[in-house]
Amino acid sequence: MKKAYNETWIDNLHILNTADHWLEKKLISQEQHETAKKAFPEKFYRPGIFVKIGLFIFALIACSFASGFVSLFLIGNGAGENVSVISLICMVGFIFFLEHLIKNNGLYHSGVDNALLYAAMGAAVVPFVSLFDNLEGWQYCMIMFAFTFAATLRYADMITAASAFLLLYGVLGNVMMKFPIGKAILPFAVMALSAVIYSLVRKEKSTYYQRCTKLTEILSLATFYLGGNYLIVREGNALLNDLNLPFAPQIHFAPLFYLFTLSIPIVYIYFGLRKKDRILLILGLVAFALSVYTYRHYFSPFTPAQELAIAGMFMIIVSAALIKYLHTPRHGLSDEQEGKRRLGNLEAILVAQHLGQTPVEGNNVEFGGGNFGGGGAGETY
Amino acid sequence: MNIQTILKAFVDKAVIPSEQASLIADYEENRPFSLHWELRSVLYLGIVLFTSGIGVIIYENIDTIGHQVIIALIAALTGWCFFYTFKHALPYSNQQVKNPQKLADYILLLGCTTFLILEGYLQFQYNVFGKRYGLAVIIPTIIFFFCAYRFDHKGVLSMAITGLASWLGLTVAPLSVLAENDFTENRLLATAVILGTVLCLAGWASEKQNIKKHFSHTYVFLGGNLAVLAAMTGIFSESAELIYSIAGLALSAFFIQRARLAQSLLFLLMGVVYGYIIITYLIFSNIESDDAAFTFGTFYFMFTSVGVVYFLLHFKKFLGIKK
Repeated sequence: MKKAYNETWIDNLHILNTADHWLEKKLISQEQHETAKKAFPEKFYRPGIFVKIGLFIFALIACSFASGFVSLFLIGNGAGENVSVISLICMVGFIFFLEHLIKNNGLYHSGVDNALLYAAMGAAVVPFVSLFDNLEGWQYCMIMFAFTFAATLRYADMITAASAFLLLYGVLGNVMMKFPIGKAILPFAVMALSAVIYSLVRKEKSTYYQRCTKLTEILSLATFYLGGNYLIVREGNALLNDLNLPFAPQIHFAPLFYLFTLSIPIVYIYFGLRKKDRILLILGLVAFALSVYTYRHYFSPFTPAQELAIAGMFMIIVSAALIKYLHTPRHGLSDEQEGKRRLGNLEAILVAQHLGQTPVEGNNVEFGGGNFGGGGAGETY
Repeated sequence: MNIQTILKAFVDKAVIPSEQASLIADYEENRPFSLHWELRSVLYLGIVLFTSGIGVIIYENIDTIGHQVIIALIAALTGWCFFYTFKHALPYSNQQVKNPQKLADYILLLGCTTFLILEGYLQFQYNVFGKRYGLAVIIPTIIFFFCAYRFDHKGVLSMAITGLASWLGLTVAPLSVLAENDFTENRLLATAVILGTVLCLAGWASEKQNIKKHFSHTYVFLGGNLAVLAAMTGIFSESAELIYSIAGLALSAFFIQRARLAQSLLFLLMGVVYGYIIITYLIFSNIESDDAAFTFGTFYFMFTSVGVVYFLLHFKKFLGIKK
């Protein structure tokens, strides 16, 4: 599959990002940084996240109304064939514009190209759904997987990568559900598939696919954990077997899933710290939180509020202690601030959302706990 | 593309001499793994969970003997937080102040939050403020404004703005502006537009007067969001449409203007999206027949959205931003 974006520029972009980082750490001088900029040029149009969002929204509006415009002429009696023709025409048009803009405007995941690509993908799938309406679920998933995977190879887009990933699981789940034995071993199948994908993706080192590989790593680690998580397996088992009981019944191999729920987060965190792999570390932390939640879901001596307070206190104490402890770097770990606080402004906004609710209401009702610092947290994590 | 290949490329293109390259390679090899953001996020989440949990616990135990103990504890915690903050505070300046004490910011935030809980509790249990609810809200607001400026803390500033809004009966939290404000009342609607505009002006003034420049983003974002959403509600409900349209469009223009100065493209996005919605609504609310609206709509959306995309692709040229 030929790559759509200019690979040299992408490499140069990566080089310049590294150079920015070194400049910040004073490892190279300002002049050297300038020289690097000249030696490794890139001419991408990268407007920043907010303009990207705007471009994306308006490009999607343009795409949908363009398709509407085309259908004005061709819709006829609205039969499946007509719809397929319309969507094929639209797809060709979208792809043409996509390639044209990438070539001439130096777009690189800048919102417009994402929108055009998704619109084209959507248009490509329509004929299959409208002409073959009696296929199995896994066959639809396979068709869409073929499209999204091809698109990912060419455009290295994160959403298509994620969809391709999820569609694979759709195929797996749909096939396994057909057999009684399949239902029973579904969690293990999910974990096995995740492990395979993770090891395959780790082999891909090129800068072009860097974002996709990172995302796929995150997803495969997450599905691996969720496949072995006791709560998910137990509740999922009840759902799949249509057991409408007040409590999901105990599952087979329960001790094994206890072990998974406990050990996977610890393994993630350990290797994340050992290998300096941030993805593993953060997923380990999130997985740990979910494991704690799993535990309290089945055996908890406390009320939700007490749990919140205890968990919060525990988090404050541990993180504050670690910040103090790592004041001087130890064990290859540090608390040094890396990168600028790009999200400093957003943090302030978050505070308004979570903590700023003043408790005293202008009426005489009893205020529930929700109004108290932390309107967003409520009763669940 | 790893560190070695980049360094090799740098040496080949004569960006850096090879001795320096080997120094950088050493540095990258032995660089400690920074847990800065992970630890900060856990700390922040911990504060959120802890304060919400405590808030509920107090109300669950409102009639038991233990609650006075809890109150004493919270009061002690609040007192300690403020004491710590004052003890480690740096002298006031109009510029951004970086406190070398790593935890000072978070401790102030915790203190302000527990202060709110304490106050709410005292009002509930002992009716300290009686019926003067406004007083109960404005006291923490004043304290927070003071703390935000004195200790240079954006988070506390947004808490202060939230307090000021709720004193007027409004919510400014970005995700709850539409859900929690009662915009069916015209008085509140007008209040929201005016308060939001005043906050925008405050942000603009901070920038102009060079007093805590970095606060302007918080002011403009919270205030602007509130004002524009309120103005849009006003336009849609057909009450005093003209005034609200002017206000909404003026604010959208103000946002787009801000994007030139503050290099904050969030405002460009807000200005474009809000302005587009208002103009579109005004055009279509004046077309009578459905058929005409449909045909015109197809063309209108196709061309205007392409136009907006074109504008955003070339916004630097349009707004005269140099970089």
